Amino acid sequence: MPTAMRKREGYRSGIELLQGTLDMLILQTLRSGEQHGYGIAQAIRYGSGEVLHAETGSLYPALHRLETRGWIKSEWKSSEHKQRARYYRLTRAGRKQLISEHSRWTQFAAAIVRLMNPGEERGDA
Amino acid sequence: MNLHLDRLFRRKRSHLELDEEIQTHLAMATRDRVEQGEDPQAAAAAAHREFGNSALVQEITRTMWRWNAVATFWQDVRYALRGMRRSPVFAAVAVLSLALGVGANTTIFSVVNALMLRTLPVRNPTELVELLFKAPGQDHFNAFDWRNFQYYSENNHVFSGMIAASDTPFAIHGEGLEPETVRGGYVSTNYFPTLGVNAVRGRLIRPEDGMPGSPANVAVVSWSYWVSRLHSDPAVVGRQIGNADRSMTIIGVAPKGFAGLEPANRQDIWFPLTPVQPRNAASAKYWLKLAARLKPGVSIGQARAEMSVLWRWTQEEEFKVSGDRTVRNWKIEVQPAATGLTQLRDQFGKPALALMAVVALLLLIACANIAGLLLARGAARRREMAVRVSLGAGRLRLLRQELTESVVLSVSGAVLGILLANWGTKVLSAIMGSGRLRVELQARPDSTVLLFTAGVALLCGVLFGMAPAWQTFHSAPMFFLRESANAGEPRGRRRFVNGLVVMQVALSIALLSAAGLLIRHLSQLEHLDLGFQRDHVLLVTLNTAGSGYDGERLSRGYQELLRSFESIPGVRSATMCGFFPMAGVGAMRPATVEGYQAKPGERRFLSQNWVAPHYFATFGIPLLMGRDFSLQDQDRPRVAIVNQTLAHYFFGESNPIGKHIVFDGDSQPFEIVGVVRDAKSGDLREPPLRFVYLNSFQLRRNSSQFVLSTSGAPQAIAGDVRRVVRGVLKGVGVEDVKTMDAQVDGALVPERLSALLSGLFSGLGALLAALGLYGLLAYSVTRRTNEIGIRAALGATRGDIAWMLLGDAFRMSAAGLAIGACMAYWGNRFVASLIPGVPVESGTPILMGGSLMLMLALLAAYVPSRRAARVDPMEALRYE
Repeated sequence: MPTAMRKREGYRSGIELLQGTLDMLILQTLRSGEQHGYGIAQAIRYGSGEVLHAETGSLYPALHRLETRGWIKSEWKSSEHKQRARYYRLTRAGRKQLISEHSRWTQFAAAIVRLMNPGEERGDA
Repeated sequence: MNLHLDRLFRRKRSHLELDEEIQTHLAMATRDRVEQGEDPQAAAAAAHREFGNSALVQEITRTMWRWNAVATFWQDVRYALRGMRRSPVFAAVAVLSLALGVGANTTIFSVVNALMLRTLPVRNPTELVELLFKAPGQDHFNAFDWRNFQYYSENNHVFSGMIAASDTPFAIHGEGLEPETVRGGYVSTNYFPTLGVNAVRGRLIRPEDGMPGSPANVAVVSWSYWVSRLHSDPAVVGRQIGNADRSMTIIGVAPKGFAGLEPANRQDIWFPLTPVQPRNAASAKYWLKLAARLKPGVSIGQARAEMSVLWRWTQEEEFKVSGDRTVRNWKIEVQPAATGLTQLRDQFGKPALALMAVVALLLLIACANIAGLLLARGAARRREMAVRVSLGAGRLRLLRQELTESVVLSVSGAVLGILLANWGTKVLSAIMGSGRLRVELQARPDSTVLLFTAGVALLCGVLFGMAPAWQTFHSAPMFFLRESANAGEPRGRRRFVNGLVVMQVALSIALLSAAGLLIRHLSQLEHLDLGFQRDHVLLVTLNTAGSGYDGERLSRGYQELLRSFESIPGVRSATMCGFFPMAGVGAMRPATVEGYQAKPGERRFLSQNWVAPHYFATFGIPLLMGRDFSLQDQDRPRVAIVNQTLAHYFFGESNPIGKHIVFDGDSQPFEIVGVVRDAKSGDLREPPLRFVYLNSFQLRRNSSQFVLSTSGAPQAIAGDVRRVVRGVLKGVGVEDVKTMDAQVDGALVPERLSALLSGLFSGLGALLAALGLYGLLAYSVTRRTNEIGIRAALGATRGDIAWMLLGDAFRMSAAGLAIGACMAYWGNRFVASLIPGVPVESGTPILMGGSLMLMLALLAAYVPSRRAARVDPMEALRYE
């Protein structure tokens, strides 16, 4: 693989969030109001009791991806510390997306729970 | 343009904004840490560390904006080139096989283009038509005489102009010019104005040139002759050109690209045609080719109707002269001539179309091959793709990139292919030109050809790029389960890849069997019993123009020449004839045969040739009855020698010797003095003709064609021949010396071309298919290492495993064989419909093609199978 590729792969090993869930978490975070990138990262971190960690390497690409898809909108504003920051806000389409992803996640989690509850370990590699 | 600037500007702004956004993030993180009591410097460092590689974040984020930008395209191209450099073998195989496919297609297409598609460089070429006449069961010919031309010109209401042109070689010797014979033609004086062609220097031939009192002996030369031979002489007008016998004054230069009316068969000099011109009595009858320009608004159907009315006059005239009733069955045809006259098109057009089909299949095989390679490589790159997708690269983006890669491949293949085609076209026109007709394909990169090649290349790129792109599209990670690189292949894709191989095998079999068919056809023609000896025979053509020899004097000179030829050491016998065998010509005359009552409407034509004594001995044609001609016949009653077919047709089992033949319009009979075995005359493919030979010295039919049979290599005495001619007949030139072998080969050029090219292309196709099979099996061994290991661990022997893979290969080849045999069956029938006389009934070519391909396929499977058998079970199970 080209060196750039290997770097990305190495970097990616630090990601703790599953692909796809990050999008959902961002949308969820923005439900309570507009927020900048750093704020979102902090919200996910502390909101999950410091279990989940949104890597910036995934966060910013994800924000831009969501914006391209029209689920969030951004705007430059002054922060509480009088600093210029880019604030993201949920759009109507984003709200819909969040609902559908949420229900998918719930189903998924329920399925996993059902599978895991009988107690036996049957994980295959 | 504006849009681009705007987009670039926006991108620039986005870059700055992203920078700022990252800086803000870092500043906020640092402040939080400071508020928690950290040292500001340490806090900044920690924030940076936590953020990670900010440049990389920028890069990844940016890839998502670049979506539509031009930059994406270049990035993809650069990426593709980098990929090609990384796996040079893959790139070489892909580009080369594509180059072969594209090169072959471009070459054949340029022939098709030159023959059938390229329109003449004249005004409104679609209005041009040509006239042809057709006797039942024979080819059609554009061959008329002056009277016909005049009658049609004056009496039609559908043409705005009718033109006539001859095809006349013109010998040029002269100051500063290389002696050569160029093709030229007498053209009616309305030729250039009707075509709408204008001079680039001086003036062209115009109607006044046909009037009495106009300057005689004027000529127009082609642009390419002017440039290549006259070195673009600015003072070309007024220059003399020609030979001691005939000198012409150049009055102008025709425009670039104009070279007469026949595609790939250029003329370089034109003279005005006037009613007095026809000099050569033998060819005066059918020496003009007629073309016409339809009046605006007149359809070709109206022209046909009009011409069939005018044609009745010709039929009546012909009947008055020959008394041959079959003339009434002759038909006149009016054909579109926007792309030129049909002669070459008739000879090479259909083989060219058949070859076009062959090369299209070759290209398809190449595409399938590359698709297979890309798929195999795509599987190896699945990890990379997964990583890219999880990093946020859009699927469409990846799809585009894959397609760009295949287009880059196809463009490289196309460029190389065009170079190959350039060379191929030259070789091809050399082969085509070695025949009886002079052929000069214009190999220049015509815009139609280039457009065709570009289209083909692009189509290929998309065609073989589709498979891997589709794969990428579907292999993108799902909700969260990343596909393990080790997971078994999806059944659908495996079937698809196997299908590719089956298709390649099938196509190759179709190609191989078509090639086998054409090769068989050629070899049948080559081993045809010609009825005469083709080796150790030398053909010599003299040119008596301007030598002063004529009539009786020439006849005596020729007799002396024959004696001198026979005294050359190594010459067995020498003779003279009206035309050489296999020259593609013949003469026919209607005649009455003594003791035979012709049925009404029966064809009364006999084929004839004037020959000197020893003709049959020289060609090794056995005399079955009677005697050969001799010089003593000169002052005796007229004699003739007939062939078996004629004797049998008119006399059955009874003896023809002593019977008489009277030609129409001739008072004196010829007495049959001998019967010889049948021999092919004008063409290899002709049926046995009723043939009569007449003694050229008896009636002073001096031709200038001599035949020598030799004991050694015929070319070895060419020097002696020239010397003898110089010694015996002063001022007579030797125009041409060639072997009978070359003459026969020349008659087979279209067949040889088809056989050679189809053989070459199908061989390449089979090789590509074998390569594809090899690649696929090798890849499948790699993919199945795990499975093979398990089988080995469970007790499968090496032989079992090798057989398992060979079995796969065999199954695929067998499927290919079944489909290929069907395709070959129909393909061969298609070829046979294009080329008459192809022995399509035999299944041998299909059988041969099939077994050849099967062998190649198993050979290709052997190496990977052995490798699989050597797999170490422990190693295999650990494998990823």
